[in-house]
Amino acid sequence: MSGVFLVGLSHHSAPIAVREQVALAGEGLKAALEELKSRPGVREAMIIATCNRVEVYVLAESAEPARRLFLDRAAAADGHLYEHRDASAVRHLFRVSASLDSMVLGEQQILGQVKEAYGVASAAAAAGAFFSRLCNRAFATAKRVRTETEIGRGASSVSQVAVELVEKIFGDLEGKAVLLVGAGKMGALSARALASLGASRVLVTNRSYERARELANQTGGHARDFAELPQLLVEADVVIVSTGAPNYVITSELAQATMKARRHRSICFIDLAVPRNVDPRCGEQPDLYAYDMDDLQRVVHATKEARAGEALRAEAIVEAEVMAFNAERETRAALPVLAALRQRAEAIALAEAERTLLQVGQKLDEKGRRSVEAMARAIVNKLLHGPTARLKEAASSGDSTLPGAAAELFGLEPDPTSEGAKAPEEARAALSEKR
Amino acid sequence: MSITILRVAALLYVAGAGSYILFFARPKHRGAVRLGFWLITVGFFVHAASIGAACKEYGGTEFFNLRGGFGLLGWVGAGAFVLLQRFYPIPAVGAFILPLVLMAVLPGFFGLGPRAQGPLPNVIGKPALTVHISTALGGVALFLIAFGVALMYLLQEREVKGKHFGALFSRLPSLDALDRLNQRLVRAGFVVYTVALITGSLVAKHAWGAFWGWDPQQVASLVVWLLYFALVELRHIGVHGRRYALLTLAGFALVVSMIVMGAVPNVTRHRGNFQ
Repeated sequence: MSGVFLVGLSHHSAPIAVREQVALAGEGLKAALEELKSRPGVREAMIIATCNRVEVYVLAESAEPARRLFLDRAAAADGHLYEHRDASAVRHLFRVSASLDSMVLGEQQILGQVKEAYGVASAAAAAGAFFSRLCNRAFATAKRVRTETEIGRGASSVSQVAVELVEKIFGDLEGKAVLLVGAGKMGALSARALASLGASRVLVTNRSYERARELANQTGGHARDFAELPQLLVEADVVIVSTGAPNYVITSELAQATMKARRHRSICFIDLAVPRNVDPRCGEQPDLYAYDMDDLQRVVHATKEARAGEALRAEAIVEAEVMAFNAERETRAALPVLAALRQRAEAIALAEAERTLLQVGQKLDEKGRRSVEAMARAIVNKLLHGPTARLKEAASSGDSTLPGAAAELFGLEPDPTSEGAKAPEEARAALSEKR
Repeated sequence: MSITILRVAALLYVAGAGSYILFFARPKHRGAVRLGFWLITVGFFVHAASIGAACKEYGGTEFFNLRGGFGLLGWVGAGAFVLLQRFYPIPAVGAFILPLVLMAVLPGFFGLGPRAQGPLPNVIGKPALTVHISTALGGVALFLIAFGVALMYLLQEREVKGKHFGALFSRLPSLDALDRLNQRLVRAGFVVYTVALITGSLVAKHAWGAFWGWDPQQVASLVVWLLYFALVELRHIGVHGRRYALLTLAGFALVVSMIVMGAVPNVTRHRGNFQ
């Protein structure tokens, strides 16, 4: 009896040193899919490979082909792998798509990555009807989670918080200038995020002019001399400070002089340095908005907490979708048996009716002949009514033994390809529509 | 008859204001903004019909009292709001402005009627008076909206500065957007109000015999004009933000005291300022 198997490793289970050994992309990914397909017993396969996880899903007799894929590439992966099968594997895929298994809960990229993974597997003819239905359900689940819960709400990183704050002060940054003081990495990141809001100029200054020029090249800004700082503060509207200095670079006196020179045009200081580089007393100036690392991190923390709360509701949605998917799958599994049983019975009934008519047909008129055929069919229907109902019931309640027993008892061979042959086209259409 | 139409208009305003407030409380109901906009627009036209009907019924004297005057102010305010949403669509503003408009309309909800004291002035029907009344109402309505926007600015400024990144913070527009909107409203209001002052002096020449007569109403409206003139000029030298919002509030407080003063009997000869 075949089933869905998942073997994988992620940031939860394996350190990056192991993850990079099994990383798959581009041609390597296609080769891995080919390799899986060629293994005996593997009917369908799909691989989700991102920088945080590599997961192999197969519709096969066992998990062994998927396991082998990892161990062939890195023996170190042993001990970091997790395995799931059937309902558990389905649940895992749904949770991953809905970003419930991500490093940053509720982040948006993972769904796109799963869609891409399905696209690649489908193009390589590794994913067929089953994965098409599975992935469609996973995408729908992720969409439900996103719209019905607030798991994607709020800013989840320091630079995102900085962007949100600046937006609430200046709207978009059109015509505004961003000044980056110091060469901290966080500062450069935030400056780039702000530049994407439409800032017309990015100015960079640092005690070492060389470093400032380097950074200006990276962020697409202009390097300026550190001695010009008071003048730069008048030009800029958003100031990101992240130097390694142990004291205040922006003192309260400097801030006061700046505001006077600016004629109280609003200015926003974002202090990413620890120890702080902006005197907290600066915030007392009207029209001057100053935030330090603690303020930003508090928002990030609040977002995380809110998302963790929403995750509980998301899990409930995932659970409901997993159950719905499994019920549908079981029903589908029972249908071939039912169809075969009915086909067989009807064939027998018609053959017997024909034989009877050959013997006594001349004595009957057209109406009489039809009633003999109708009688044969009625007997079949009456006889099969009970078993049909019971098989359907057993299938939808998740019991797959009864359909198997029925097949065994009647000597039927259900056709495995009849499991929804037009499903892949549906999935591909849905996929291209979502892109 | 006119009162029934007015009540329909007031109910439309209530529903419209409710829609905008619902949107502010639950931003995912985007449809509430469209609904609210149409309710207010229809309300505005129904209100216009009620004003027309009232003129036929009472001959126009019903607007020479506090209720009627405020009703007209609410009507012009609703019209200004519709125009504002059309050209600068910031739906969050609706939750703050429309309750103010409603407050102006509601007294009329409970009754209309001729309440002017004494005979009608001989200037009724002069074009200068028509322009004077409509521009005075228009100017005050714009100052009223600017007042609401300045209030929003101060609220948002408190959130941003005080590092409360909660529901208000996320729902109110950015400080920059509010500041610019406030400035535009003050400037537009100032222009319209200037016309009201000029036509007012023309009417005074007719009614009282001189363009300027140190009437308390004239003095008060000149003080208001000077304050808004200062606001427009201060903007040019770069005053903005919190101080500008506070000045806008002060300006509107002055406008309200001017209206209330006009309603006190035997202070001014100026008629129609709701006495």
